[in-house]
Amino acid sequence: MDLLWQTAINAMYAASYMALIAVGLVMIFGVMGVINFAHGELYMVGAYCVVFLYAQEKFPFLLSVAAGLIFVGAVGLLMERALFRPLRENPLGGLIASIGFLLILQTLAVFGFGRRMGHVPPATQGKIEIFGAILTYQRLFVIVAAILLLAALWAFLKRSKFGWALRACAQDAEAASLQGISMNQTARIAMFIGAGLAGVAGALTAPLVSPTPYIGHSIIVTAFIIIIVGGIGSLEGAVIAAVLYAFVHTFVTTFFDGVIANIVGLALMLAVLVVRPTGLFGARERA
Amino acid sequence: MIRKTLDRKISRRKFLGTSAASGAALAATGTGLSRVSFAAGHTIKIGFLAPLTGPVSAWGKPGLDGCLIWADWVNAKGGVKIGGKSYRIEFVGYDNEYDAGKAKTGATKLIKEDGVKFIMMLGGDPWPGVEKIAAREGMLFSTLLPSDLSPDTKTLVAPCEVHPIYNVTGVEWLAENKKNLKTAAICAQDDSLGKPSVATYLAAFEAAGIEMVDKPLFFDPATTDFAPVMTKLLAKKPDILCLDTCYADYVHPLCEQAFQQGYKGQIISCTADFYQKIIEKTSKDFMEGFVFQFPDFDDPALNAKEVNFVNPNEFYAEYAKRYGAKEWSAVSWEYASIMDLWADAAAKAGSADPGPVLKAMKAGGTGKHAFGDAKWWGKELFGIDNALVGNWPVVAIEGGKARIKAFKSIPAWWDKHSKLMIKHTTALGQMWNQR
Repeated sequence: MDLLWQTAINAMYAASYMALIAVGLVMIFGVMGVINFAHGELYMVGAYCVVFLYAQEKFPFLLSVAAGLIFVGAVGLLMERALFRPLRENPLGGLIASIGFLLILQTLAVFGFGRRMGHVPPATQGKIEIFGAILTYQRLFVIVAAILLLAALWAFLKRSKFGWALRACAQDAEAASLQGISMNQTARIAMFIGAGLAGVAGALTAPLVSPTPYIGHSIIVTAFIIIIVGGIGSLEGAVIAAVLYAFVHTFVTTFFDGVIANIVGLALMLAVLVVRPTGLFGARERA
Repeated sequence: MIRKTLDRKISRRKFLGTSAASGAALAATGTGLSRVSFAAGHTIKIGFLAPLTGPVSAWGKPGLDGCLIWADWVNAKGGVKIGGKSYRIEFVGYDNEYDAGKAKTGATKLIKEDGVKFIMMLGGDPWPGVEKIAAREGMLFSTLLPSDLSPDTKTLVAPCEVHPIYNVTGVEWLAENKKNLKTAAICAQDDSLGKPSVATYLAAFEAAGIEMVDKPLFFDPATTDFAPVMTKLLAKKPDILCLDTCYADYVHPLCEQAFQQGYKGQIISCTADFYQKIIEKTSKDFMEGFVFQFPDFDDPALNAKEVNFVNPNEFYAEYAKRYGAKEWSAVSWEYASIMDLWADAAAKAGSADPGPVLKAMKAGGTGKHAFGDAKWWGKELFGIDNALVGNWPVVAIEGGKARIKAFKSIPAWWDKHSKLMIKHTTALGQMWNQR
C-alpha cells in the first residue's frame, strides 16, 4: 500500500511539471501556430536561473523561481519579436528558427555554466508523510505552484479581455483580427505566458533534477507526446494528458521498468492517434 | 590554433568539439615552452577522443584536465626521451559527445590531420564508430571500458581502468566487513556502460552470498525524474542499494531520492564523482560509509610503495589548484596514468609509432598499473589479453571525505569466481561474442 501511495505522489509531481510545460507549448502553438522546438530549452533556462540566482548568488529560492518565470517569459518575447513574427506566414520557418534558437540557448548555457550538471542545493529538506508515503516540501512546491498557476491561467483565459482575445486568435486568427484584436499583442501575451510556464517549471524543479545544458531534449520529447495525446491546441487536453501520461509512466516505471515505461508512453500516443487522430480534446475544444 | 579556428566558419558542433582541443593545445604550449626548449619538430601529438560535453562529459573532460597537468610536468622535465631524443607531448582533444558517429569523425581527424601517435578514449558507445579505423590504420587506442575489447581489437588496450570487473572488489570488501548485509537492489541506465557493470555486480553479489531482492532495474538514459526508479528500488527494503556504473548526472539525483524517501541502508556505487555535492544535497550522515571505487588522490594510502602512479598527492594538489577540488572525478587521474604507461613503452621501444609501442607495452605479459604491478589479461572475458589487471582500491566516505579502505586483487577474485562472471555477463548478452 505504501508503494502505491508513494507511486501516486511521484506521479502527481511528474504530472504537475509536465502540465506546466505542455500547457505553455500548447499556448504558443494555439495562438501563433508555431511548434516551438526550443520549449525544452526554455525549461532549461528557467532551471539555470535558479542555478545562478539561488545556488550561486544565494537569493531566496522563491524569488529565484519568480525571476526565472519573468526572465524566461522575456526570452519568449524576444523569440516572438525576432523569430516568429517575421515568419508568421511561414510556420515551417518558425519551427526551423526555433531549432536554431534551441542551439543558441544550449551554447549560451555551456558558456555561462559549463557542460556539467548544475548543482542546486534543496531549498528545504522538510517532508510530510501521507499514508506511509513521503512527499518532500520541494516536490510539494511544484505541485502547489502548478495548480495555482494553471488555475490562474484558466481564470485569465475565461474571465479577462486578454484571455478572450487569446482564445479568439486560437480559434480563428483572421476573424479575430477583423474584430480589431491585435495579433502582435496576443502573440506577445501567448509567448510570454507559454515561455514563462516552461521557465517556472524548470526553476521549480531545478533542485530536483541535475540541470545540464542538454536537459531540454528529454523534456521536449515528453511534452510533444503529451500535447499530441491531449490534442494539439487544447489546453484542457494538455493538462489531462499530462496527468494521464505521468501516471502511466510513473506506475509502469515503478512496477515494471523505466524502458518499458517509455514504450508504453509511446504506445499510448499511438493508440490515441489511431482512435482519435486529433487527440483526446483536439477536435472539440481549442484554446 | 586560435587563428586556424577563427579562419573556419564555425558550426556549434565544431565549435564545442574543437574548443577543448584549442584549450588543451594552448595550455600545453603556454606552460611547456616557457621552461624547456625542444628541437623543431620534436613534438608528439596524443589524441584525446572522449565526451567533453553532455551527460558523460564527467568521464572525459576531467581526464583531459589531468592530462594537461601530466604534459606540463613531463615537458618541464625535458619531455619524453625516445630513441635518444626528447619529445614534447601535446594533447589534441576532440569531443565525441559519447556518439559513435562523432567518434568516427574525430578519429579520422586526429589520425589524418593532426598526426597523433596514440588516441585515448573513454570507450563504450563511441567505440563501434572507431573500431574499423583503428584496425585499418593500425593506430593504438586505449579505452577505460574493456568491454570494448574483442579478438578483433588488436590495437585497443585497457591499461588503466578495467571497468567493470574491479567493481567486484567493493562488494567483496562489503561482504567481509559488514556481514549483516544480506540483500541488494540494483539499477543502471540501459546502455553499454550500465549492462556489463550490472553483470559484474550480480556476479559479485552472488559470490558474496548476497541475495538480489529484485531483477536489475534499467532506466532510460533520458530520465530526469528518479523518484519512481528509487521507489521501486526501495520497495523490497534491500540492505544494499547498488547504483552500478550510473553516470554522475544519475548518481546525484538517485542518492537525493534515496535520502528523501528515507533510505538508511548501505549504498555501493562504481563512482561517486563530485561526492561533496551529494553530501550538500543529502547529509554527511546519509553518505557515511558510501562505498565506491575511485579514491581522491590526496589519500595517504596512495603513497604505498606498490602504487606506481607518480606523485599522486602532488597531482591531486595541482588539480585542485587549477580546477578546484570539487571538480575531481573518477577519471581525473586515469588518462594521465595511461600516459605514464605509454611514455614508458615508447621509451623502451625507441619509437612513438603505435606498433612498437604496443609491443613494448605488453612485453613479458605484465605492466606497471597505477595501483601496482599487474598482468595483461582478458582472454576468457574479452577474447584478448589486452586489459591490464591487478589490484584496485575500495573507497568509503568517512566524515565527508573519501578514504581508501583496502586494495583488493581482481585476479584473485577472478580465479575463484570466473564462472559466475561469465554466467551473468552471458545472461545480459555482454560477452565479446554477443555484442
